[in-house]
Parts: sequence; structure tokens; C-alpha cells
Amino acid sequence: MKKLLVIVLLAVLGFYTASTFFDIGFGSPHFVKGIDPVKDIYINQTVKSLNVPNAVTSIVVNFRGFDTLGEVTVLFLAVTVLGSVLYKKRHEVGERSVLFSASSVVTSGAKLIFPAIILLGAYVFIHGHLSPGGGFQGGVIIATGFLLMLLSYESYSVSHKALSIVESLAGITFAGVGLLGLLHGGSFLHNFLPTGVMNSLFSGGIIPIIYIAVGFKVAAELTGVIYTVLNEKGEGNE
Amino acid sequence: MVGSPVLFIAIPLLAAFLIPLLGMIWKESVRIVPGLVLAYLLVLSVSLLQHVLAFGPIIEIIAGWKPPIGINLVFSPFSGFLVTLMLFLGLLVWAYSYRFKRNVEYEPALKYFLMLMMLITGSVGMTLTGDIFNMFVFIEITSISAYGLTSYYKERNSAEASFKYILLGSLASTFLLLAIMIIYSQLGTLNMADIATKMHLMKPGYKVASLIFFITALGIEAEIFPLNGWAPDAYAEAPGPVGAAFAGIVVKAAVYAVIRVIYTLFDLPGAYQFLIVIGIITMVIAETAAIRQEKLKRMLAYSSIGQMGLVLIAFGFGTKEGIYAALFIMFNHAIIKSLLFFSGSYLAYNSTEKNIADVSGMAKHLPLTSLLFALGAFAIIGLPPFAGFWSKLAVLTAAADSSLWLIIALVLAVSVVELVYYLRVVNRVYFFKKEEDMEPQKPTVNAMIVMLILGAIILLVGFYPDSVTGLLHKASSDLMDKSQYIQHVLSAR
Repeated sequence: MKKLLVIVLLAVLGFYTASTFFDIGFGSPHFVKGIDPVKDIYINQTVKSLNVPNAVTSIVVNFRGFDTLGEVTVLFLAVTVLGSVLYKKRHEVGERSVLFSASSVVTSGAKLIFPAIILLGAYVFIHGHLSPGGGFQGGVIIATGFLLMLLSYESYSVSHKALSIVESLAGITFAGVGLLGLLHGGSFLHNFLPTGVMNSLFSGGIIPIIYIAVGFKVAAELTGVIYTVLNEKGEGNE
Repeated sequence: MVGSPVLFIAIPLLAAFLIPLLGMIWKESVRIVPGLVLAYLLVLSVSLLQHVLAFGPIIEIIAGWKPPIGINLVFSPFSGFLVTLMLFLGLLVWAYSYRFKRNVEYEPALKYFLMLMMLITGSVGMTLTGDIFNMFVFIEITSISAYGLTSYYKERNSAEASFKYILLGSLASTFLLLAIMIIYSQLGTLNMADIATKMHLMKPGYKVASLIFFITALGIEAEIFPLNGWAPDAYAEAPGPVGAAFAGIVVKAAVYAVIRVIYTLFDLPGAYQFLIVIGIITMVIAETAAIRQEKLKRMLAYSSIGQMGLVLIAFGFGTKEGIYAALFIMFNHAIIKSLLFFSGSYLAYNSTEKNIADVSGMAKHLPLTSLLFALGAFAIIGLPPFAGFWSKLAVLTAAADSSLWLIIALVLAVSVVELVYYLRVVNRVYFFKKEEDMEPQKPTVNAMIVMLILGAIILLVGFYPDSVTGLLHKASSDLMDKSQYIQHVLSAR
């Protein structure tokens, strides 16, 4: 009886909230209502004052760059927490558990394709302000390259220290650029560099600098996550 | 201008990224740097608060885009008061755990202090931000650090507690995002002041739906019944000082978010009554649960939930006196509950189960710690002449002003319940025989200093309540004046 009541209540609440969402009409061209919605300002100002063709990038890195700094911190924290949960004393870290080793097709293919993956990742985040993509996407692509190497070679290892240095330096760059904006432009993350010519590589002021830092940071962090989890020696598979 | 509110976020984040590098050069720096950062921010926030009280709120624009286009931070008497309180407690928690973690290896120590600093930064960010999506980001930062700190000790049942917290916490994040989505789709803005001015354009159906999502999401973080299932486990399994940080910092930020949403964003008349109802339910259920607890920290956790219920009731009056009373309880609860967690963890230091029975007879071996615990217990019940008395009195007078007699009776009845379960513990500490296998543990010097500071504040506020009431009055009139908030934010240069 009690359970029935709960189900009925949940169904009513669920129907009500779901119908709200259907009403909004996500996906239709003008589902955002309201007087002077900020989206119009974002789209106009992206081209006018930032000289950047990619509106998504300008929103993520400039208009709402503070949120992105927060999200980068969330990722950093997630990695820290994962390391804390899976922390073992050094001598307890065992060999990676491998069920069967990769075939020669995979190993030689991985060697061939690894530089290309890194290059693609770097391209995606360096051109983040010009074409679709950006720091987060590029970083993930690079991390998949390391995942491929770790899966194909049992002996392949990544230096935790190097990852942590890259991660820290990239984070410092992001926060440091923000503080420079506070000194030069009067507000945190202010775009204090010249915005240059639209569609050229060196344009958009601080946007590409921040996106490159984010790219390095995400790549180092996700590689670290993969490496930590792969080397986790659970009690079950000894 | 002495400094900018954005430093409250930028400096700790910069330090968090810097600490792993510094740790490679000098290991001790991972313990010292967070303390220096917190101390600097505390000084900054005190001086900013003085500035704000004299000249009006500071609106900090980020990335050079004025509201509603960009993100902004609001350092007003209300948010500034809470930020100062959080940073003060954060510094004390750091000082308390500084030596406590000395026997721990380098890597766990690095992670502990990083997570602690981010927990405080996230809460401060939640309080300062004037943008609703930015608040979501800071809630994420706070809750992820909280999950990590909950699961810090591997020898306890911490993984289970942390997992419970993660499940509920992710639900909270999802719901919050849905609420923000509804608001954005209807009003086309994310700035809180801008939303508040445009709220009347929203259809009532959408309003209620997004308010439901907001209350559910923030209620999980603010320990509102029935969404607080994670809290007793998390408090009990996390390290002692972290329990104090949860009660004093994280929950305060979440309550602030609830209040900001209801007072500033939404203008639904029924919302205040709703606050009173959920406040009463939370308080009654938590206090009756606290009396049944066998474990010390779980009891403190339930008592903490109960106090939050009282805060919600006081906010629900919707009057200036009500807000003043609520802020006063928040202040007292932060100070007193931290003292109880700090001294309680030393009383039950060598007990694995942390049962209330294990603290029996500790007064003979740890006289000062026991005295401070008793002081905290008396203060939180609301016995005169300690700090808690004035805040409870403020609630009762605020209720009397709104002629809510039933609430006065209820608060007094619940106080009797509190009296019973706190005196039970104090009685055990002073008049029972010590359990034979319980070795008393002497507090470290820093821990003792921290506890004495907190005890001194309880006595100071108890004898001279005027030392804080002026500030609290200014902070509460700041929250009441919604039109001024909107005008300040939207006219920022």
C-alpha cells in the first residue's frame, strides 16, 4: 500500500515535470524566450569585439570563462579524489593485470597511429577558437592515444611526476592569465591582448592561450586517471 | 578599495594548482600553503566586510562583461558575513588538522589539504556568486571535495558513506541543472538579479516546476528532511575536523543558496510557509532521531540537521527579525558545532566504534577537553549565559512577532529533547567510570588552541551579544532589500 502510494505520487510528479520539459520545445530554433536574451549579445559580440568565428569557444572561454575555470578545477579535483581513494603504499602497487597480451597487429598499429592521434588532439585544441573543438575535446583525444599505448604494451608506463607537473603548469597558466587580466584590464579573465585578424591562428586575445592550457591539463589529467585505474590491483584478481 | 572579491576564488585555485609543484621541492609546503592562503583570505574578507558595511556592496565583474552578459560576484553585508565566517572556520579546521595529519604519508596529506581548501573555496564561491550557473559549478567543486574527504579513512566504513553521498549528490547536480535549464529557456538569462526582475514573465507552471527542482537539489546539500540520508553516515565516517567543516561551512553555503533562491529569485508567497513546514519536519525528525543514536558523531550529525531545520523555520517567517534570528543561529551553530566535533573527536579518539559509551569518565583524564565539550553542549541547547541562548531567544521573539505560538511551543519542546541527549553525554563524561580499554589521547597544542578560541567566542558572544548583533542586523536588512540588490548588480560598471 505504502509502495503504491509512493509510485502514484512519483508518477504524478514525473508527469508534471516531464510535460513541462516537452512544453519548452528543446530543439526548435527559438525555444529560448524572454526579453533581450543574453544569447543574442553573445552571438553579436563574438564577432564584433572578440574577432572569433566560433561562438561556442567565445562563450566557454571568455563570456563564461569563470565557469570553465571552475569546471577545470572540478576535473582536477576528481583526479585528486580518485588518487586519494585508490591510494596504496608504493610497494603494494602490483603489475598491471593482463588477461592476454595484445597481438602484433595491435602493437605495431598502435605505434603507427599514436603520433597521429597526438597531432590530431593538438590540432583540435590549438584551433579551438577557429573550428569546432577546443581544449576539452583535444585533451580527451590525446588521452585516448595514451590509452591505446597502455593497452597495447604491458610495459608502457607514464611518469606520474611529469603528468602532475604538466597539469599544475597548465592550471597555473589559466589562473595566471586570469589574474593578469585583473591587473591590466581591471577584471578577472579580462581579454587584455589584441584580438588580431579574424580567422588567423593568432587571434582572439587570451582565448587560444587558455584553450591550449586547458588542452594540456585535460590530456594530463585523463591520462593520469587511465593510468591509475589500470594499475589498480584489486583483491579479486591477484 | 583594499582588494577584489574575485581573489577569494582565484588565489585558492592558483594555490591548488601550485601545491603539487611546491610539494616536489619542499614536502612541508603542502600543509603550510593552504593555511597561508586561508589566513590571507580571512584578512581580506574582514577588511572588505568593513568597507562594504560603510560604503555598500561590491559587485565584481568578471571578464569585463557587465551583468547580465558576464558572471559577477556580489560581496554584500549578507554574503560577506557568511564568507568571513566560513573562512574563519576553515582556518581553524586547517590549524586543528595541521599536526593531526603529521603521521600521515606525503601523498594522502597533499590530497587532504587540497580537498579541504577546495571544499572551503567552493562554499565561498557558492555564497559570493551572482550567477545561477556559476553557483552550480561551485556546488560541484564543493561536493566532489566532500566525497573525497568522506572516504578519506580506509579503515572505516567510509566507502559506503561516500558512495551514498555521491548518489544523492549527483541527483542534486542533475536536478539543479534541470532547474537552471527551465529558467534559461523561459527568461534567456542566468544572472540572478536579471532573473529576479524578469520572474513575473514566467508562466506559473514553469515557476513551480523549477522551484521544485531547486528545492530538491539544494535540499540534498542543505540536509533538509527527507533528503538528508547521506548526512549522518558522512559525518560519522569522515575525519573529525571534516565533520566540523561540513556542519560549519558546506551546509551554511547550501542554506544560503536555498534562501537566495527563495528570497531573491522566486516571488512565490507560498514558498515561505513551505520553508516553515519543511523546517519543522526536519527539526522534529532529526532531534528525535538524535536521541536514539549510540554513536557520538551520528548524534552530533542529527543535532546539526535539527539546527538547520530551526534555521529554515526562522527564514520562513519572512520578516527581518526572522532573518536576523536565522543568521544568529547559523553563526552560533558554526562555532559551537565545530567545538563539539573537535572536542568530541578527542574524547572518543581511541575508540573504533565512536560509541557514546566510550567517552565515559574522560573528564578525569582530559579535563580541559571535557570542559570545552560541556561548554559546547550547554551552548547549543541554549542555556544562558552562553551564545546559543541569544539565538534561540531571537527565534522565539521573531515567532512571537509573527504570532506563531505553535512554533514557540515546538521549539521549546525540541529544546527539552536536545537537553536530554546532550546531558546524557556530558553526564557520561563526568560521572561514569572509564571503560577499561579506552586510552585517553591528549590533544595536540594546535587543537587545544583552536578549541580554546572557539570556547572563548562562545563565552564572549554569550556575555556580550552586542559584539555580533550589529553586524547581523545589517546583514539581515541586506537580504530583505531585494530591489536594492537588483539595482546594485544591474547598474555595476
